[in-house]
Amino acid sequence: MNFDAIVIGSGISGGWVAKELCARGLKTLLIERGRRVDHKVDYLDFATPWEVSNRDMVPEDEQAEHYAIQSTCSAFSAATRQWWVRDSEHPYVTPAERPFSWIRGYHLGGRSITWGRQTYRLSDYDFSANKLDGNGIDWPIRYADISPWYDRVESFAGISGASEGLEQLPDGQFLPPLPLNCLELAFKQKVEADHPTRRVTVGRCAHLTEPTPEHIALGRGPCQMRNVCERGCGYGAYFSSLSATLPAAQKTGNLTIVTDAIVERLDYDHAKRRVSGVRVIDARTRSGSSYQARVVFLCASTIASTQILLASRSEYFPTGLANRSDVVGRYLMDHVVGIGAAGTHPGFLDRYYYGRRPTGFYLPRYVNVTENDGDFVRGFGFQGYSGRSGWDRGADEVGVGAEFKQRLRTPGRWDMRLVGFGEMLPRADNRVTLHESRADKWGIPLVNIDCTHGENERRLAERANRDAAQMLAAAGFENIVPNGNISPPGQAVHEMGTARMGHDPATSVLNRYNQAHDVSNLFITDGSCMTSSGTVNPSLTYMALSARAANHAADLLASGDI
Amino acid sequence: MPVPESFDNAKLNRRALLLGAVFLVGGAAALTRFARDPQDTAGSGPVLTPDQFALLEQVTEVMIPATDTPGALGAGVPAFLRQLLAAWGSNETRAAVVRVLEAIEKESWGKFGAGFLEIPGERRLELMRSYDGQSIAMRDVAYGKFKHLVLLGYYHSEVGATQELRYELVPGAWRSCLPLAEVGRASAV
Repeated sequence: MNFDAIVIGSGISGGWVAKELCARGLKTLLIERGRRVDHKVDYLDFATPWEVSNRDMVPEDEQAEHYAIQSTCSAFSAATRQWWVRDSEHPYVTPAERPFSWIRGYHLGGRSITWGRQTYRLSDYDFSANKLDGNGIDWPIRYADISPWYDRVESFAGISGASEGLEQLPDGQFLPPLPLNCLELAFKQKVEADHPTRRVTVGRCAHLTEPTPEHIALGRGPCQMRNVCERGCGYGAYFSSLSATLPAAQKTGNLTIVTDAIVERLDYDHAKRRVSGVRVIDARTRSGSSYQARVVFLCASTIASTQILLASRSEYFPTGLANRSDVVGRYLMDHVVGIGAAGTHPGFLDRYYYGRRPTGFYLPRYVNVTENDGDFVRGFGFQGYSGRSGWDRGADEVGVGAEFKQRLRTPGRWDMRLVGFGEMLPRADNRVTLHESRADKWGIPLVNIDCTHGENERRLAERANRDAAQMLAAAGFENIVPNGNISPPGQAVHEMGTARMGHDPATSVLNRYNQAHDVSNLFITDGSCMTSSGTVNPSLTYMALSARAANHAADLLASGDI
Repeated sequence: MPVPESFDNAKLNRRALLLGAVFLVGGAAALTRFARDPQDTAGSGPVLTPDQFALLEQVTEVMIPATDTPGALGAGVPAFLRQLLAAWGSNETRAAVVRVLEAIEKESWGKFGAGFLEIPGERRLELMRSYDGQSIAMRDVAYGKFKHLVLLGYYHSEVGATQELRYELVPGAWRSCLPLAEVGRASAV
């Protein structure tokens, strides 16, 4: 079969690239290393609490033996177990006492099924940060370059949110926002009164609060406020590759999907300076084969794409494809998490809510934007969660019998948690490499991940803990407890930066269109392209960069330039 | 060599049509029989002796008694816990539950000179109040785990979730700020 384009990976980035290339009339092959999944059919979202196996808990021995790392993700449960790799079958290496959590799933749609669905734009504070403070290299784009692509992907994906007019968190094309609850409204009023440049807004999220005809035509329906999103949504109410981009690509008749196909390496033709083939191993039979196309998009996720580049050594690229700069694998970033604070509120005991809103609230970055007293660069935002405690508080409370049962019939006190997401600076020694001797069961070298937080991250974490506790105290919260220490990198599941974009081929891998400086028909649009991390959840940016790069590649193909 | 597959298929279309119908009639509960976890496994053997299970039945019913709604027995909590320990629990968790049951039985002999099953209902409640209070005060890990599993067994059972508390499989709306009286009881999830 002849293809115009090959897309490696079917998650958020790969799904977007496939959709855009197919819409441009290009015969596109999408390669996914995991199994095939059927939208709606394979989801467990209609299981009640009493039907789901073991009350939604994965057997303790199985979890310890096979999911030691994956189970640290809050979305891990019995009903979502099918969306995570077994750590026992997919090992990677970290140095002793420098853990990194590589949380992932191998199946069609990738992490677009389990993602947190929080969708925020980067701003020029982010795109110019490296240049201004000298950490990392300058982004080769600014907000104006990507803004129309944010518009485009937001309209298609369906993003619910409130416009706020903030320079550091640009507004977008929003479906109606979900309202804040009683306590969040009171917290918002207090925070904004005490700190005029801080803002509390409902979480911007990829949920259809009011589907458009375009959404409905793809079989998507409105969010039903169940909040079991990570199981997959039978209503197609949140954006995933399976609910949105792949059905759209399929409708063009230009999409071919292969699953259970692990990309082993990319072959390189130096005479043409192009990728000449994509070599794959059948995950089930271990037999090898090769695909060819005019353009190749690598969207396997940051660490997996890095693994493929590093494994694609040749006479001309002895340290890995497109790695003349020696930055492939370096500058690994995540977001700083594990920070913030939580507390309980004594008021509003006669108030409650109905339904399960599938998002929290958001308190955008203010430090080093409107408040400049930090002893560090960059900043953090807070995602917040609040509600009334339920029956599970009973395990920590004294009580048995009819009185106890009666007490738990009523919701408990309100609580709130502010979860900081801090920016992580790009540092050359935070690095993904290939292990020299160990390989997985398909013979592919394991990755080594060596990544730590630095002094700037520690300082902004301290400030986030302090600010969160202070805002909660001012708003009348009690029992305030800081969230604690910084989690190991990887825990935000926002790993990025190992094949960064830049102006200069000597210090970066990709140009301003996510095209490899040195390999004209290779594009990379997953998190590995990121030149800095910003403070916001990155998936919306991957969508916009993917759509932009795909259309640029289609232009170059049309003009005969690649 | 991997075989190219088409993303679309007849199975998906049937399911999509079915779900489309559910949008209209709101009868999503009809779909639950399709929603079982394919990896669901049955218990692999007895984890509690008959005596221990009889004790578990009476202890859980004292903790969550029948009132105007069924209690732990009516909700099938003891049988659920036995199944859970077999299918889900590690040896450590199983041992913790047995340890709690043994401690309660021992307390009963120490306080009343008879086993828990032999003492009258008001004595059982008195004993469990005291044991629960001490254990929570001491932050006894085994008891905390046991109590959580009992509560989970009850409040996520169909009886506990839908009769004692409130549960909607498909709420269909988010109403952000309401008088508690209008909503009534706590949500089970």
